[in-house]
Amino acid sequence: MWSVIISHLPNWKVCAQAILSLVIAIGFYYLNKYMRSLVEKKNASAQKARKGQHLAAHTNLSDHYKDNLQAIKQAISSNSDVHFREFQIAELHARATLIFVDGMQNEELISKYVMKILMADVKQAASDRSHLFDPLELASYLQDEVLPVCEVYEAAELHGLNQSILMGFTALLVEGMPHALLIGSLGMTTRAINEPSSEALLRGPRIGFTEVLSENTSMLRRQGYSEELEINMYEVGTRIKRKLVIAYMKDIVNPDLLQEVRDRIGKINMDFIAESGYVEQLIEDDYLSPFQQSQNTERPDRVISGLLEGRIAILLDGTPFALIVPVTFSMLLQSPEDYYDRWLPGTLLRMLRFFAAFLALMAPALYISFISFHPGLIPTELAVTIIETRQGVPFPSLIEVMILEISIEILREAGIRLPKPIGPAMGIVGGLIIGEAAVQAGIVSPFLVIVVAVTAISSFSIPVYSAGITLRILRFGGMLCAAVLGMFGTILFILIICGHLSKLKSFGVPYVTPISPFRLNDWKDLFLRAPLPFMNKRPDMMKTQDKKRR
Amino acid sequence: MFIRNDDKITTTQTSIFITDTVLGAGILTLPRGVIEAAKTPDVWLSVLLGGFIVIMVTMVMVKLSQQFPNHTVYQYSKRIVGTIPGGILGVCLIGYYIIIAGFEVRIFAEITMYYLLEGTPIWAIIIPFIWVGTYICFGGINAIARVFQIIFPISIFILVLSYFLSIRLFDIDNLRPVLGEGVLPVFKGLKSTVLIFTGCEVIMTLVAHMQHPERAVRATFAGIGIPFVLYLMTVIVVVGGMSVDSVMNSTWPTIDLLRSFEITGLIFERFEFPFLVIWMMQLFCNFTSFYFNASLGISQVFRLKIHPVIFGLIPVIFITTMLPERINDVFKLGDTIGKMGIFLFFLVPVLLTVILLFRKKVLNHHV
Repeated sequence: MWSVIISHLPNWKVCAQAILSLVIAIGFYYLNKYMRSLVEKKNASAQKARKGQHLAAHTNLSDHYKDNLQAIKQAISSNSDVHFREFQIAELHARATLIFVDGMQNEELISKYVMKILMADVKQAASDRSHLFDPLELASYLQDEVLPVCEVYEAAELHGLNQSILMGFTALLVEGMPHALLIGSLGMTTRAINEPSSEALLRGPRIGFTEVLSENTSMLRRQGYSEELEINMYEVGTRIKRKLVIAYMKDIVNPDLLQEVRDRIGKINMDFIAESGYVEQLIEDDYLSPFQQSQNTERPDRVISGLLEGRIAILLDGTPFALIVPVTFSMLLQSPEDYYDRWLPGTLLRMLRFFAAFLALMAPALYISFISFHPGLIPTELAVTIIETRQGVPFPSLIEVMILEISIEILREAGIRLPKPIGPAMGIVGGLIIGEAAVQAGIVSPFLVIVVAVTAISSFSIPVYSAGITLRILRFGGMLCAAVLGMFGTILFILIICGHLSKLKSFGVPYVTPISPFRLNDWKDLFLRAPLPFMNKRPDMMKTQDKKRR
Repeated sequence: MFIRNDDKITTTQTSIFITDTVLGAGILTLPRGVIEAAKTPDVWLSVLLGGFIVIMVTMVMVKLSQQFPNHTVYQYSKRIVGTIPGGILGVCLIGYYIIIAGFEVRIFAEITMYYLLEGTPIWAIIIPFIWVGTYICFGGINAIARVFQIIFPISIFILVLSYFLSIRLFDIDNLRPVLGEGVLPVFKGLKSTVLIFTGCEVIMTLVAHMQHPERAVRATFAGIGIPFVLYLMTVIVVVGGMSVDSVMNSTWPTIDLLRSFEITGLIFERFEFPFLVIWMMQLFCNFTSFYFNASLGISQVFRLKIHPVIFGLIPVIFITTMLPERINDVFKLGDTIGKMGIFLFFLVPVLLTVILLFRKKVLNHHV
């Protein structure tokens, strides 16, 4: 009895391997946990620090013109771009000052409709009134009867006044008036509306977002009249404040989702939000994931169709990139053109894109595993051809693929920065000549050049640029797995990605739905793009209030 | 509720979970195992019969589990027969799951070493496999079900396609005569057909995790039905394509069948490669399911947290995998599992049901 058991006991080698496997797994677990805890700690401490801050004391403007001017000068006149323009309002026998920041206002409007009117035209109206010297009524008189400008506000509080001046308002101080008037005359030069360069289409609107938030929201409004489109404004950034807008369809969006987005935006804590990429990274679910958890786009039509599916758009001032949340995997391979074209080409192109995504991710890994590990699994003639061309290549297939892949990645990165006139020329030199020369020199095999070129082109066919980057990163992981364990390694790699994707959520929506969790209704818009008459429901996954599109 | 934190799975996911748990090593081992036992071409009858028996037994399991909503077998067995006997039963099930998990990994490693990675040390295949399984188990039953849902359609498609292509070798004479040696060989073959259905016990834990436990019967029917049909196809196609004698002489008859014909004009001349790929994924699902069920069992029987248990099982499964020294030991282990399966299959659910009914009806206990 004992001898049987003893003969079956594992030897020390197996035990050591078992313990090692456990230790490494636990090591990975704690590494992961540690990395995540870092972020949580940072957030928690930042929240505490924020609570400790107290607001700046309020001081109101006084009745004395000179004192007010002095106070404002003390606070902001150390900026050389703040201008003080003093002049006399003759008929009222009062001094007045315009305070503005250079380059932020429409000069024509200020000189024509403010200064000219105050200095010259105010006469006739003022002559028959004696009560004008009542200081409280002066402000409302100027607002109501004198200034032909649409944005005029009263400001009584010094700190707020200074802020507004620095944000581009023109302030008017008049002797004897206890308030300042703020004249909205924003006249910054902006970029013209261009076709979005990162998401060019053959068919579809040629309009793209710009850097000005109000223009962007107006583009959304101009897509069509709707009372349901709601646009809420937030301010983000602790030191430099910026406007952030969330847009949604009031009667479609799921209220819990909306609340979640609001909560996360409320938690943003950063001194300056430079681009919507900051917002994206500060509100995402899993910062260790290679996959993006919100979609960025420059196209208003894309945003609007996202809103109609029950998603929420986040727009930030100062960037043409809007964010759409939540995002699912299938969205990354969809292009607005799929819907503008007829359904048959739309469907075929979409399937092509799925195939291209697969190639962009797996092609080099499959090449390595077939060439290095299982040449027997490919047809004999093909195997013989490939092996013949590889004769004389001194490297193992991993190094061979790495050489070419890395040089292609460098070329691509350089291509973004190349000046326009020499860009195409360098592309030809880099791509064609280096590839050809590498084959001639016997560093790589010609078959590999085909594989790498197809991979590179495939990754450009993905409509969302940042999704393409994800696949580029993961491709190298796949290559390493294939180099270690061949086809088995490749399969493990696919399984890890499947596992990761099915754990990943974007704002509570599983990332790979409708594939899993399975929602048959949403399959109409996955590999297929069903004819429009069949697409009569909003995506199930968004759990919208209003399920039907018609 | 938009953001869900409850760990529940849908009815479809339950079906796929069962299918992916049952459909595994059997595709490769079934034809030879059942032919060795029966030695006649009537083995498909054994599969048919075995399938029916299994479906009946799983129905008993489902009905039993539905009596205790939100409780897994590990929890309700304690309530039916008392804490200690219930605990012992739970430990038996856990041990059974661990041994099967080890068995599946070992079969996997043997096939991989034989066809894909000659000369690779076995630990280099097993350990990454277990690690990936651990990663997926960590997401809980929901994440596992979702992974299964992604893999399931691909593997079923390739499996059916490769059987369809091998029809060109099919010869109906290989399956004749029907019942030429009487009914007895059919019953002899039953023993190994039950082995291939091992795994349907997971329904006793799944019902507790279902969103709509009242639909468990339907889910189980589909979940057992799909592998049942596929196994039947396997046996018919393999025996019909290769004849009884060559099946007996081959270690992995299904792969040998697929290697024996070539399709010209495609990228892959032989279909054994895609078949191996999906089979590896399928076996991974199998393994993950048993791994998860074993860890869930340990955490519920001994009231531990599940994550340390999942870690603790890594070396246990590894050692279990390495215990059989040669491939023949592996097959012997497979037979033993079949026998254990019969015991756990019939005794556990039937016995529990009988005791439950006895206590409820005769002793009027409130269980």
